[in-house]
This record gives sequence, C-alpha cells and structure tokens, in this order.
Amino acid sequence: MAVMTYLQAISAALRDELRADERVLMMGEDIGVFGGAFKVTDGFAAEFGTDRVMDTPLAESAIIGCAVGAAVVGMRPVCEMQFADFISCGFDQLVNVAGKMHYRQGLAVPIVVRLPSGGGFSGGPFHSQNPEALFMHSPGIKVVAPSTAEDAKGLLHAAIHDPNPVCFMEHKHLYRRVKGEVPDGVFETPFSARVARSGSDLVVIAYGAMVDVALAATEDLEGASIEVLDLRSLVPLDEAAILDSVARCSKVVIVDEANMTCAAGAQVAALVAEKAFEDLDGPVVRVATPDVPIPFSPPLEQAVLPGVDRVKEACRELLAY
Amino acid sequence: MSSLRTESLVDVTMPQMGVSVAEGTVVAWRVAVGDRIEAEQTICDISTDKIDTEVPAPATGVVAELLVDVDQTVEVGVVMARIATGDGAAGAPAETQPAPAAAASAQTQPAPAAAVSAEGEPTAAVAAAGAPAAGPGRGDAPGRRYSPVVSRIAAEHGVDLSAVRGTGRGGRVRKQDVLAVVNGNGHAAAAEEPPLHIESPYRPDPPAAPRAPAAPAVVADGGLSRMRRQIGQHMKRSLDTAATCTTWAEVDMSRVQAARRTLGVTALAFVARATIDALREHPALNAWLDGDDYTRCEDVNLGIAVSLGDDGLIVPVIHRAHELSVEGLAARIKDIARRARSRELTADDVQGGTFTITNPGQFGSIMATPIINLPQVGILDLEAIVKRPVVVTDADGNDSIAIRPMTILGLSWDHRALDGALSAQFLATVRRRLEDLPA
Amino acid sequence: MATETAQAAGSTAPASGHEHLRLEDRIWLLRAMLLMRGIEERAMSLYRQGKVPGSFYDGFGQEAVSAGAAFAMAPEDRLCILHRDLAAHLIRGVTPVRILSQYMGRAAGITRGRDGNVHFGDRSLGCVGMVSMLPDMMLVATGMAMAFKLRGERRCALTWFGDGSTSRGDFHEAMNWAGVQKLPVVFILENNQYAYSTPLDKQFAVDPVERAAAYGFTGVTVDGNDAEAMFDATREARQRAIDGRGPTLIEAVTMRMHGHAAHDDMKYVPKEQVEEWRRRDPVERQERRLRELDVDVDALRAEVAAAIDTAATEALAGPMPTPDDVLEGVFCAGEAEPLGDGQAPWSGFAAAGGGA
Repeated sequence: MAVMTYLQAISAALRDELRADERVLMMGEDIGVFGGAFKVTDGFAAEFGTDRVMDTPLAESAIIGCAVGAAVVGMRPVCEMQFADFISCGFDQLVNVAGKMHYRQGLAVPIVVRLPSGGGFSGGPFHSQNPEALFMHSPGIKVVAPSTAEDAKGLLHAAIHDPNPVCFMEHKHLYRRVKGEVPDGVFETPFSARVARSGSDLVVIAYGAMVDVALAATEDLEGASIEVLDLRSLVPLDEAAILDSVARCSKVVIVDEANMTCAAGAQVAALVAEKAFEDLDGPVVRVATPDVPIPFSPPLEQAVLPGVDRVKEACRELLAY
Repeated sequence: MSSLRTESLVDVTMPQMGVSVAEGTVVAWRVAVGDRIEAEQTICDISTDKIDTEVPAPATGVVAELLVDVDQTVEVGVVMARIATGDGAAGAPAETQPAPAAAASAQTQPAPAAAVSAEGEPTAAVAAAGAPAAGPGRGDAPGRRYSPVVSRIAAEHGVDLSAVRGTGRGGRVRKQDVLAVVNGNGHAAAAEEPPLHIESPYRPDPPAAPRAPAAPAVVADGGLSRMRRQIGQHMKRSLDTAATCTTWAEVDMSRVQAARRTLGVTALAFVARATIDALREHPALNAWLDGDDYTRCEDVNLGIAVSLGDDGLIVPVIHRAHELSVEGLAARIKDIARRARSRELTADDVQGGTFTITNPGQFGSIMATPIINLPQVGILDLEAIVKRPVVVTDADGNDSIAIRPMTILGLSWDHRALDGALSAQFLATVRRRLEDLPA
Repeated sequence: MATETAQAAGSTAPASGHEHLRLEDRIWLLRAMLLMRGIEERAMSLYRQGKVPGSFYDGFGQEAVSAGAAFAMAPEDRLCILHRDLAAHLIRGVTPVRILSQYMGRAAGITRGRDGNVHFGDRSLGCVGMVSMLPDMMLVATGMAMAFKLRGERRCALTWFGDGSTSRGDFHEAMNWAGVQKLPVVFILENNQYAYSTPLDKQFAVDPVERAAAYGFTGVTVDGNDAEAMFDATREARQRAIDGRGPTLIEAVTMRMHGHAAHDDMKYVPKEQVEEWRRRDPVERQERRLRELDVDVDALRAEVAAAIDTAATEALAGPMPTPDDVLEGVFCAGEAEPLGDGQAPWSGFAAAGGGA
C-alpha cells in the first residue's frame, strides 16, 4: 500500500500498464515530452519512448479514430482528451465508429478515452464540463468515474483491460485534493457501485467529485443516518446497488455535477421511480448544475455547481418530509 | 397513485389584497376536493380588512386539497388549496367524487378508477378527502396522502393509516411513523392493547370549565360576521393607536342645495369637492401617519365610506380625486357605491386612500365622532342636512333670523399629526367653500 | 466462387503483356467486376420485388476502382471498404450469398441483419465495416497503419472515400496525421463526380489530389474505370507504404452511373455526361482486353451468372434474423479478437511467398 493522490494513482496505473503490456499505447495532445496538461504522463516519454506516449496532432477526432484503427489490429490505446470538453470534436468517432462496431460486426474496440472533467477552478465554459451523460446515451460505450485514488487506479486498470470503448471520467478537481491508500501492483476495480458510507434514513447517490461533496454535506445532519452511494460506473449502471440502498433508506438525493437535464442522475432517478416506487418515502430529489454553461468568475461558478450547502439543504428538506 | 399527483400541484395562496393587508379569511369554498376547476374560475371567497373578494384559480386542474377551513383566518401567502394539474389531475375525480359523479367520470376515465381499487390503502385515504373541512396535520385530514413505501408497509401489516399520527411536514405520515406502529411503539389508536386486570378505563374528569356568566336571552345568529369582526378590529386598532379628537362646524348648505338641484348630484359630491380643496389648502391633513412615520401625500385619494347594510361597511377610494369636478366626483361616488354593494370592488379600489369622508346622515342623525381610517390622519363626517332657524347678517350688518338648510360637519383628526387650530382652520375652509359656492 | 475456372484459364498462361498481372490475374479482375455488377443488378431486382428493406446503393460503373485497388492488397493488409466498392469484398473472399443475404437483412448476412445493405466488413477477412459518415474510415485506416508502423510490420491499410468526403474535417485530420507520421496507408479518393446530387465544383476549389503534396506525401490521379490502372497505382502505393515512404493519395476518376440510391433518378446529371461515361464502362474495357487475349469471356459471364443465381436462391431461402438476441453484443464480453487475414488472389503474393 502506498498513499497517493488521485493524479498519482492515474499515472501509476498507466505506467504499470505500459510496463506490463506492450500493446498499451498513450495518444494525446502534449502528453509526450511535456508530460500532459495535468502532468499525468510526466516522465513517461523518457521511460517508454515517444512512440508509445505519443504527441499527436491537435485533432480529437483523429485521436479517437486512429485509436479505433490501432485497437482493431490489436493495440490497447489510451487516449487523453486534454479537457473532457474537447470530446465534442471526437464525438463522431467515439459514438458512431467505436460505439457501434461490436454490435454491427462483432469487432471489439478496446480503447480508453481519458476525460479530465469537471469544474470548480474557473475553467469557464470550455474547460469545466461533465459530458458523461452524452456517452451513457450512446450504446456500446462504457463510462466510469472514480472518486478515490484507489478507485482511480483500479478502474483505469479495468478500463484498459476491458475489450470495449471506455470513457474514463477523471475529475480535475480531485487530482491533487484527493489522497488515499492504493494497493500495490495491477488490480481491477469492478464497474459497480460502492457504499461510501452506510446509513438508513436517506441515501445520497453521487459519483466522481460529488461523492466527497455528499460525504461532507451529510457528515452531521442532526444525527440522521445518511448513506452515500458512489456509483463509480455509469455504464454499466449498478442497478442492484442503487435499488438496495433505496430499499433500505427510502429517501433519495441524487447529486450530479453535470447539467441537470438528462444527466446521469436523471437516469438514476428514473430507475428509482420505476423499480423502487414502493420503497420511496418521499420525492426523489436531485441536486445538479442548472442547465447553463459553466461560468468563469468564481462567484458565478460557485453559484451553479452543487456544493456542500445545497446538498445539505436538500437532505434536510427530504429528511423532514 | 396519490404520489403521482404531487408532481403537478399548483398552490392557491391567500392573496395580498392591499399593501397593509397581512391576512385574510376564507368566507366560502366554491369547490370541493375532486372538483374540476378551470383557470380563472372562482375557487373561494375571501374577506380581508380592506375588501371581500373572489379568488380565481391559478390553473386548470382538479382540486386536490383544501387546506383552510371556512372562517379560518390565515396570513397572506399561506397555501389555501392545491390544484392538481397534468396527468395526475385526470384521475382525481374518480377517486373523490360521490357516487353519481364518479360514475360519470368512470365512463371517460376507466383506467384511474381501476388503479384506485388496485391500490388498497391509498383509496381509503383519498376517499376521505371528500369533505373539505379540516386542515393539515389532523389525524384523518382530508387529502392526506401517503408515500409508496408507507402505503406498502401499511398494506403488508394491516395498519389503518388514518389512525397513524404523522411526524413529517404538515403531519405527513412518514416511513418511520408507520414502522413505529408496526413495531408497537407508534401512535395509532387502533394499535392500543387490551387492558390488563389492574387497568381500569377510569380517567379523572377534566377540570371543570369556568362557568359562563348568566347571559341575557339572545338571538342565536352565530355571532359576528367576518366583516363585522374585521371592522371591529380595525376600528379598535385606530382608537388604540391614534390620538383622536373631533371638531365640529355648522355649515349653511343653502348654496349647495341650490347647486345640487341644478346639477342633479348629491350634497356629498359638493362636500367632497370642498374637502379636497381644503386638503390642498391644508395639506397636513392629506397624509399618512404610520408609527412615527408621517407622510404628506401629493394626490388626494379620497375614501368614501359605503354602508353595506347589515353586513357592514367598506371604504372604496377615488384615486386622484383632486382632478375631478363635482360632477365627476358624483359619478365616481355612485359607481364605487354600486360596485361595493355588488361586491365587485377590486383590491386597487380599496387601496391608497389619503383622507376619508363618511356620510351616515340619511337617517336624520346630526352629529357623530367618526373613527380615523388609519394610517390617514383625518376623517370628515357629513350628517343630515336639516332646516333650522339661524341668525343671518346681511351686507349692511343687519341681523335677522332665517330658515336655512344646515348641517354639522365633524372632523376627527389625529392629535399625533396635528393640533386643534389646524383642524379648525381646515373645517373653516370646507365651510367657506360650501357656503360661498357661486350661486 | 469459381476460383477453379480462373486457375484453369490462367495458370498456364505466359506473362500477359502486363508487367505485374498474369492472365489469371486479369481474369480475376474481370470476374470480380462481373460478380459485383451481377450481384448489384440482382439486388436491385430484389429491391424492386420488395425483398430489400431500406434503401439500396450500388457502384454501377465504378467496379474497377475497388477491384483494381483491392487486388493489390496482401492478406495481412487491412481495408475499410465503402459502399460502392463491392468488388473489394469479393476479392477478400466474401461470398455472394452472404452479400445478398446482407442486402435483404437476413440472418446469413455479414452483420446478421444489424446493419443494412453495404454497411459491412467481414472482420475475419481483414475488413472494417464503414459507417455512414464516410471519411471517418480514413482515420480508422490511419490508426491501423499507425499500429503497423509502431510494431514495425510490413503491412498497409487502405480505405476508399468519395469526393464529398474531402470537405469533411476527418479527411484533413487523417491526411495530416498520416503525413506527419509517414504511415503505411493508401487513401483512395473515389471521385465519381457527385456527392449525392452535389457536383464537384460545389465541393472543392482545388483538385484534392493536389492536397497530398500539402500534407507531405504523394498524390496520383488514375483512370478509375481501368481496373488494371487502379491495380498498378495501388500496387505502387502499397509498396511505398511498406517501404516506409509514407502514404499515398490516389484519386480514381470515375462516374457514378446510377443515382445516389435506388430512389434517386439522377435528373441533376446531364444525359450527355452519362452517355460519355457509358462508353468508358470499366467491365467492357476489361472484357475487350481479355477477348483480345482469347479468353472465353462469355463462359466467364455464364459462370458468374450461375453463381449469382445459386446465391440468390440460397439467400432467399435463408431465414430472417430473430430478435431473440437483438439486445446482445453491444459490448464485447470476452477477449477482443483482432481482424483476420483476407484472401489475396494476386499471383504476385503467391510468387513472393506472402504479402511482404
């Protein structure tokens, strides 16, 4: 066991994979000599060479498309979008080429697309987004979103080993803020949910950076017993874990950092409404970013992103219901 | 099922019927729970200390809940009722209407009716909502709804939810409440255990209520009306607040009587016009005093007290009355009086008065001490015009006794805002204006 | 397919007057084109009979582009084949019955009914099926070539795309990436004069073959109605690729002789233009060559027609897919299997003992 930041855990997973499997290849903008915008691949080029830690042209569609090509001839490409926001430029290759490939012609596309996502640091409308729901809506793409250092490493190993396209949502705000013990060596974290804290009066369902927010918001709510369920994987979505939490707690608050409409939490809410109706003792409550681009200035950004206070208030309201 | 309907409930709140109005009373509900209602259709009548009015429905749908009893007074903004709109609304009539209506609904909406019977416990709870009586928080409150998990646990354990005391918001039965009953430590009356040998049903008598004093024989008419109570409260508040003084002046109404026959208008219109002129001349009386906050008003918004017979009294306001002629004032007085009596006044009609005239003199009374309509600082009372022998002095200074139509104007004024000299000057101005009308 | 006939006709023939193609190879090219035309004509007939769901697209008049190019590709090479390139599938080894089944949405089709008509690629034969956003496959081919280069393999990737595709960003991204990394990839621009109804002068201001130089590699223009010219250009491009000299853009100039799809009457194309291109029909051109070499073309035609009849009968008798597993296969549950090798009938590969 070693204590690592979330960022170090991601780097460690990538380094382990590059060492263990010669099929593994990193592709992205400024990831080679420079070591990446967030220094995730710092020092990689020296150890593995610039062929395997490849500085690509500034072309997101090409990064994904070429990764698909490399994958179908036996490589295990790990693509980095410099910011998750930029995936819009590679959307077609990911959704139409990679996502549909196996269903149409039985051809697996084992690629990982790393998406540094999320806001909270004045990134503005093009460096703060949480686009995961776009890919939940696109068949054939798995989506995972770790909240801890251990899960960041374990999920990344599992994503690279997975024979399918996987969007790996790594939250920028967690990079250096989250630290934790990480097991040594290569290990896989299953694409399933994790009870971050068990409770019985209410469950807060969250993923990524919102797990910490949920835990902080519910640490002391006048003695109420609050469960926090960390989804970890959005595709596949761990229905059994969600329904189990709801059956025990009967009150549900769902937190997304993403824009509210059709976010991952909306799918969770729909699932709960459909399959846990008779377990509910109150409305399913959602806390998410309103449907606005993420504004730049700190007071504006803080006003739209879900924070501890909003989650706390939502829990209090629902507890009192 | 009932949970679905919560998705699209529109609140009907006690409206703000004037800046200073803080509360209102529901006079009558025009609808019952389960009734279909169109947006703008009257849902209830309310009474405030300014006005009685109808409250239009804010949305089309089905009346889901009536939360305020008739005669109950609630603060402005309090939710009085809820209207279910959208899908949930469609199912409501079948649940709540008595048999004949339900049959009609069922023809067009068979699915919701079937859902009712399939759900068991909620049906009973919703059916109880038929009588729009009690408010929220009571044990068997109408419109009381249960969450899916509460309904399911109740069904599984045979719990009568109407007997479960809710600890949630507004007395809502929560999961823990029904679980407490299931686990034997809840508050359900039905869950009481049979008495043991040593337990007697005996309970000490409650302490005797103090005996009411012997009362005279009365007509049992149900006590004061809401309007009466409100007038009473308003008047008492004025007397408790203002330093009320009353000053009288005797006025020769000969010129007024002559002029009103010419113009075909009431004496009140002339008095109103003279009062307005006097207020322009002595603007200290065209003012509001709210605590220590004294405001002279630019416009003269003249309140005219209108009797509603046995029901009471209301004071509609003629806004910017200083812009009106005697004929204009007469027309407006006539209009507001008619609308007051037919209960057609709007909130705006009763707001913003800066001075009030009251005119109860048609029955022959000659003097009164009117009560100031706060936050105004003065009210002028016009009583009967009666013929009297008066001493008149001609242009040469010769006195004689003449028969003249006389009236006594009474001005109640707030000694906090002004002093007697000013009130006397004001009354003198009114008198001069009335007596010196051009012939 | 009647491979035996080709061998019987060509295996003993001397060099046929073509530097790299023996007579058997030249017959193979004709056979591939005849099969393509015959299968598409039969499919069109089935379409009119109501046997083909959706729409129907063909490559009538463009047979040489796919036949000539695919014929130059080795088994270990990888292809992204577009919707007017049926001959490439046939050369790689896809049988006519599977193609007709594919058109009709039958269980025996290459995608088992999951995708329509020409949207397929037999992964076991080294092909990646196209998507409707046509230049997307340029990037997939570029990525395959990138992997070959990284691994030091003497293989190449090839893809086709149309004149309309040159307007898309993925065209630029692929050309640029391949140029920057000097990848073993062959881009075949199938210039058939129209992107649906849009003519060339509304698509680009500069002949796209000239753009190759801007990306740092070779661009050549070829008569797309000459299968052997296509073969020659592609063979050279492939050689350049596996020698590490980078990509090639081949502009195959041809004409789409039918509408964009079955519903399109092509009234936006001048009649004279169609007539002119009809005289340059690629199948007839290859037939003339072989007749001059005393090849029994009529027998070949009869053989191909019989093969298509048999395939159509079999395909029509085949079942439609059942929806039992329609939800399955969205994700790969087991190991990812890479693409397999395809057929490569060119005698040159056999002579060299393989593709490299």
